[in-house]
Order: sequence, then structure tokens, then C-alpha cells
Amino acid sequence: MTPKKALNYAYYPGCSLHASAGEYDLSTRELFKKLDIGLTEVPDWFCCGATPAHNVDELLSLSLCAKNLELAEQVEGDLAVACAACFSRLKTAQHVLAESDIKRRQVEKAIDAPVPLTSNVKHLLDILARDLGLEQLEQAVTKPLAGLKVACYYGCLLTRPTDVPNLDCVEAPTIMEDILKAAGAETVAWSHRMECCGANFTLSRPGVVIQLSHAILDSAKEAGADCIMVACPLCHGNLDIRQKEIEGVYNTEYAMPVFYITQLVGLATGLGADKLGLDALIVNPMPLLKEKGLV
Amino acid sequence: MSRIGVFICHCGENISRTVDVERVAAQVGTLPGVAFSTDYKYMCSDPGQGLLKKAIQEQRLSHVVVAACSPRMHEKTFRKAVESAGLNPFLCEMANIREHCSWVHEDREEATRKAIEIVGMMVERVKKNRVLPTITVPVTKRSLVIGGGIAGIQAALDIADCGHEVVLVEREPSIGGHMAQLSETFPTLDCSQCIMTPKMVDVANHPKIKLYTYAEIEHVEGYIGNFQVTVRKKARSVDEDKCTGCGVCMTKCPQKKIPNTFDRNLGMRPAIYVPFPQAVPNTPVIDRENCTKFKTGKCGVCQKVCGPGAVDYEQEDQLIVEPVGAIVVATGFDLYSIEEKPKGSPIKGYGEFGHGKIPDVIDGMTFERLASASGPTGGKILRPSDGREPKQIVFIQCVGSRAREKGISYCSKICCMYTAKHTMLYHHKVHDGQAYVFFMDARTPGKSYDEFWRRSIEEEEAVYIRGMVSRLYQKGDKIVVMGSDIAVGVQVEIEADMVVLATAVQPQKGADTLAQKLGISYDKYHFYSEAHAKLRPVECATAGIYLAGACQGPKDIPDTVSQASAAAAKVMTLFAKDKLEREPIVAKVREAGCVGCFYCQKVCPYGAVEEKEIRDRQGNLVKVVAYVNPGVCGGCGTCQATCPSKSVELDGYTDEQIVAMIEAL
Repeated sequence: MTPKKALNYAYYPGCSLHASAGEYDLSTRELFKKLDIGLTEVPDWFCCGATPAHNVDELLSLSLCAKNLELAEQVEGDLAVACAACFSRLKTAQHVLAESDIKRRQVEKAIDAPVPLTSNVKHLLDILARDLGLEQLEQAVTKPLAGLKVACYYGCLLTRPTDVPNLDCVEAPTIMEDILKAAGAETVAWSHRMECCGANFTLSRPGVVIQLSHAILDSAKEAGADCIMVACPLCHGNLDIRQKEIEGVYNTEYAMPVFYITQLVGLATGLGADKLGLDALIVNPMPLLKEKGLV
Repeated sequence: MSRIGVFICHCGENISRTVDVERVAAQVGTLPGVAFSTDYKYMCSDPGQGLLKKAIQEQRLSHVVVAACSPRMHEKTFRKAVESAGLNPFLCEMANIREHCSWVHEDREEATRKAIEIVGMMVERVKKNRVLPTITVPVTKRSLVIGGGIAGIQAALDIADCGHEVVLVEREPSIGGHMAQLSETFPTLDCSQCIMTPKMVDVANHPKIKLYTYAEIEHVEGYIGNFQVTVRKKARSVDEDKCTGCGVCMTKCPQKKIPNTFDRNLGMRPAIYVPFPQAVPNTPVIDRENCTKFKTGKCGVCQKVCGPGAVDYEQEDQLIVEPVGAIVVATGFDLYSIEEKPKGSPIKGYGEFGHGKIPDVIDGMTFERLASASGPTGGKILRPSDGREPKQIVFIQCVGSRAREKGISYCSKICCMYTAKHTMLYHHKVHDGQAYVFFMDARTPGKSYDEFWRRSIEEEEAVYIRGMVSRLYQKGDKIVVMGSDIAVGVQVEIEADMVVLATAVQPQKGADTLAQKLGISYDKYHFYSEAHAKLRPVECATAGIYLAGACQGPKDIPDTVSQASAAAAKVMTLFAKDKLEREPIVAKVREAGCVGCFYCQKVCPYGAVEEKEIRDRQGNLVKVVAYVNPGVCGGCGTCQATCPSKSVELDGYTDEQIVAMIEAL
């Protein structure tokens, strides 16, 4: 495999990847290393405000994102973001600040620096599917995920809000399916690809999360999926960590492993389970992966 | 020395509230050349105009300046008054001290000073005005109607009934348009075909109407009263004069698997076909793209079975030039398609409604075909997927309409009513079925319209849910509709057997191309623009071209028919005179200076510039210069601005006049 050009990115993991979603961080770093894509963590980055800040104080939320964007300028390359919520917030902030001179001036005063409005903020999906390219990705696959039926789950934030130029078609994206097909897996057509899992209500309103996530798990199962794939730590938390609880409430059993995209693509490129943090998943994926002959 | 009269209008209080009109009158009265100046409360009123006429005669005025509103509003009024007092109307100019001054300023002192300057400029300008003679052009008393839907049919019949010839051009193989596709019409529920087809026959049989179907406008030249229209009559592959309409060719055609577009692809049709059994003319057409004979050269069955020998594979497109005096544009509408829109399109699709991938999610027009007695199911409401009768049906309104974030912000006007009608038709045919309607607002203004809508709820048991639908998905053989009920503040999920989307009204495809051929303007959605929304609603800004029906914006049948008759009346008004008077604000070429570069010809949007040869006495060619046809010139002045040798001047806007205005400042 001859890389078209050297790909190098500034990496913004976001808080979750340093805590509850450590396996997402680990698998991202390993996969990128394997694909020969450079990742340099943004020095001194901090929380982007994630999903709650903009409901409380818009200026605060915009400033947090703007400061992170400014810090990312120190590292060469576009900004790679793994978490769907961070991605949505950083993109939205850039968009809002580009549209409103007044807000931009307020924020620039708050962070005492100009806001980088034109820097490229990219989700990992974008980097894999477009910067690296599906063909290149296909060439890197040594262990195709043959026979694995995957329900690709976008959730709310990967393509929204609607007016912000984003990753893919707002209502009918295909980028995850495209990547998974390149990795040799089979993707299922299912109804709840874009439904909300309850996001960060997981602590404040667990009842809501249980109801919404149940519908998602149910729909994936009905469509015949073996597992769900996500690209967001919030979705992962709700679908994986709470799965046992949901099964209890609805008196059912899914045993549906929920993978991060980097874990599945990582497997396809020949990375071992230990390098992908598969042991950190709550619903044990090993029986499924063994059955399909993937580990 | 000029004797100029200046007349300052108060416009009620519109001007005098901000501008000290008396001071303006006194001040401009001292300007050189001004013989008389006065102010009056309503200069445009009858006593106001009387005052003006009296002053012209008593003061022997040579020029007039009226300082009032915009010339768009009353220039004609005052020029007429000046003319009736014996002066050439083009010796009268208006100084706009309302829109350009009193309405946009607050400070009385400054506004007054500005008003004095504006009037002063016009005083200097009017001194340079020339006497302009009115131009008259002959009128060809024939008209062209583009589009054979209900609007075009009505306009054509009205004009033809007055004794004037009409050329009716329709793109499809049959006239009838969308109305022929409808099942029953609101608010009376009469059968659409029953009121439409007799009119279609009237058109075909009218001695004054020349009907071209399967034809398009190729090219338009000329101007009001004198258009030359080239019509492309597409090859039908069937000789209209020989064909008896027996239909044997259609039954014998071996190719029978072409989606029937008239039935919204619900049924199939052969390659030689008429769009629907009641088509006018009842002459089939060969769809060359799908015909085996045209694709492979093998077949030719229709030619063999045709008794009168009407099938002609060699037939070619014909170009026919028709001279007409007026054009009625009635190209109608198209429905917004629910498919995903291509990237970069300002109009976004409705991926959340299933991309048209869920077979039982259909649009309103498809429902019309299902409900129509002449439709693919013979009027039974059946699901396209399995032919089962839907027992729970969900109608979703405003799909594409009033959705700025999806790219279309206007209201499509007819969907509330047609959805109400659909719920009734459904209830009449599926007695144990339940209809639900998701709606934002019910907009039912029109005679007997609100009563009709109420009836769908109160008597026909439709359940209206105020709120929008976020997503549809297939679950087994049901479609789950996820929506909200904002009246109660809860989320709603309905398991439906069929979903009908009330999709937005859009202009016909190619509306922009036709507009460019005609030289008329259109809005950002490609609906054609009228000259004035209130006072000239059926006229285009381009003289001699009139609008009828939904090509101008969403319209229901009653509105369309009224507007079509109005457009016909405008055409008749034009035809009432033998000669047409035109404003003499046209460009003139100074031949001595013209170097024949013809830049003016390139920029002229009206195509008014011609070539003229200058010869000496011996008949030798000296040079070729530009000549502006005064009948065609629109008076825009683009040629004047472009001319490198300053040899073109627009009468009424000469360089001399403009310079005089600037120097007065």
C-alpha cells in the first residue's frame, strides 16, 4: 500500500475518551497508527462544554469551543475529533461565530485571541471515508469482517444541527455503512439509525434513556443485526452500559455488543483485541466475534 | 427662455409632515426659468390636476415639474394632464420627494433642503427635454397560449369565443394538464374529468383554435402586437390526419411494461400510447425512448396492424412559425418530489420520510389516481405494495411547503383543501377505515372552503393532529409514523397501512428556460413574476405577455380559471385597437458617430438593434451602423451605457439631461 500523501491531524479526544470511553481513544490511536495516519494530541485541550453548556450559557459554550480551536492551531493538520458531541459543538461554534460578528467579537474578547473560523474540523468518519478514502481503507483490510451483520447507529449529533455544514446528508447519511462495507462487513437496513438514545440524560432522566435506547436495540435486533456500531461515547454509554438494565425493565434479552467504529475497522485491519480495548465493553463481544471467526 | 411650472404635492401628510412644502415652492420659484410654482394637498386629485392645467394655460408654461411621489405611481397621470392642457406629455417630469425624501428622513430642515435640491435638479433636466412623438405599432390579432391545462384551455376558449384566432401549444401528447389527473375536486366533490373533458373537446373543435399537442416553444421574437413564435412540433410517429383513434396499435404493442406517468407510475402502458382514454387529441404517440422499433429496429407491429396506415417511423420534428400579437403563459405547476435531492440543491429532500423507498408512502397526486374511477385500481383505494385496502391512513401536510430549512418557504395553498378532500374520498370508499392528518395550520380561505374542511372532521371523522412528523419507518407491513401533537404536548406514534404526503407545489420543470425565451422575469423559485402584485396581476413586465394559473404561484382551480379569463380579457383589450400606442422612450443612434462595433446589439436584452447600411449617392457602401427598432426597444438604456463612441442616446434620458441634473447640485 502506498499512501497518497502523509496524513497528519491534530487530535481532540474530548473528556469521555479520557474517561468512560478509554477504549474508543485506545482503538483510535491504534487504528490510525496502523493506517499510517499521524495524530498529535492538542496540548492543554479542555472540555468543549459538550451538550449541556449551550443550554445554560451560549457565550460560555462558544468560548470553550473557540479556545479549543485556537489551541489546536498549534498543531499542524486538520482537527480530528472522535466524539460526536464534541464534533457537533465545535462545528456549530465555528458556524455561529462566522455568521455573527457580534458574538465573534464577544468570544474573541473572552478568549483574548482570534477565533480560527476556517480551520477544518473533521470527525474520524470523515477522515477514514474521505481523507484516507474508501479504496485505501479497503486495501488496508487484512481480515474482512465477513458475515458480521452490523447496525450502523448515527444518533443525533453526527449530522446535526441541520443548518451547520456537516458530515453527511442530514436525514439519510451513508458514511458509516460505506466504511463498514469497505471493512468487509454486512450492514443492515434498520429504522432507528438516527433516533436519539437519550444522550446525556443518562444520569438526570434515566427513564427517558431506557425507553429510547430500548427502541433502538429492539429495532436493530428486529433488522437481524449481530451488533451495533457507534461513533459517540454518549450513545455507547446508553446502549452498552445500560443494556442489562434495559433488558431487565423490558424483560427481554439482546446480548447485542456495541462497538466503536475504530474497534470494528481495527479488527478488519488485523489489530488484536487487546489493542482495541474490546475487554472494556460491558456486553461481551467475544462470543460473537469467535462465532464469526474474527478473533 | 423656458417658462417652467413647478407643482409641489403634500401627498396628504406623506410629504408635508417632513418637508416644508411651502418653502420648497417659494425657493424653487426663484430658480432661473421657473415661471410659476405652487403647492397643493393632493396634486393627483381632480382639483389638483385642474390647478395644473389652469396654470399651464394661464401662465403659458413650456415645461412642467411635479414634485410628488414616485414616477412609477403617477407619471402617467400627470403626463396625461399636461397633454390635455396642450403640451407634449414628455415635457413633464416628476421629482420624487416622497420615497426619495420625506419617507426616508426625519429631520424637517434637512429633508426640506434635500427636497429643494431634488426639485432643482429636475428643473434643470426638464429644460433639456425634447418634444417626443408617440410611437404607434400595428397589432396582429392572434394570440398564443402556452400550456393546455385548465388555465390555458380557459384562456384559449375565452379569446376564441371573442372571434380572435388562438394557437394553443401543449408539451404533452394530450391537453388536460393536472386537472385531468384529479379524481374529484373541492369544495363540491364533482368529478374532475366530467367538468374538464367537455372543455377539452371544445378546444379541439373550436374553429378559431389551432391546437398543437406534443409541441414546445422553440423561439420567440418580436414585441407586443408583433411576435413571431417558432413552435417545435415533436415527431409523434403517427399521422394525425390519417389516425382514427381506434387503438389497435396500443393493444398489439408487444412492449407493455413502461411505467404510466399519467397514473404516477402505478400502472403500465405500451410504447405507442395515449396518456389516458379521454385524451384530446385521441391520437397515439410513440415513446421513442422505450419503443423496440426505435431501439433495435426490430418490431414494427403497430405499423402492420394500423388499418389507415397512420404509423410513420420516419416522421421528424416540424418547426412552425406563428405570428401572434399576444402571448398567454399557462404552463402550470409540478409537484415537489419526495425523493432525496442532489447535493448542492438549495431544496433538501425528505430522507426521513423514506426517500420514496417505502412503497406505501405516496404523494397526493398518486392518491388522486388511486381514487379516480379511471385510475389504475378503478377507484379503489389499495396499497401499491400488496393491493390490500389500508385501514389506517396518515396524511402529512406541508411536505416541502413552508419549510425554510428544507428550501421552500412559501405556502402551497391547495394542500389543506386537497387533503381534506382525500380524507373524505377515503372515508366514502373505506367505511371502516380511519384517516389521520398531521397539520401545521389549516389554511382554507375561499368560498365554501372552511365549511368543507370542517366537514372532513365533523362528518367524515378525519382525526386532525396539530404537529409535524419527524420520521416514518417500515415495521413489518406497517409504516410507523412518529409525530408530535403540540395541542396536547405529547409524542404520537401511529401504525399506518399507508401514508399520503401533501407535497409542495413547484413550477414546471424548464420554467426558467421558457421565461428566458419569452424575456419575462421569474422569482427565486422560478414562478413567473407579474407586473404588479395587486394592480396588474395577470400581466408580465414584458408588454404583450400575460400569465394564467399556477405558473405564477400555487393556485386552486377556481382561482386559475378566474385568472385565465382575466388574462384573456387583457388580450382582448389589446386587440380592441387596430394600432398600439407606445411610449417614445426609445434609443436612437447618431449615425455619424456610430463606428459599427455593435456592442449595443450584443447587450440589448430586447433584440432591438439591427444593422443598417449607409451608402453614398453612387450606391457604394460607406459603412454599416446600428439601428434601433423603436417598436422593439424597451427603453432600458443598456446600449447607451455600452456605446464606446457615445452614439446611442435614450430619448428622455440623454446625456445632456443627466449632466444638467448633476450640475444643478
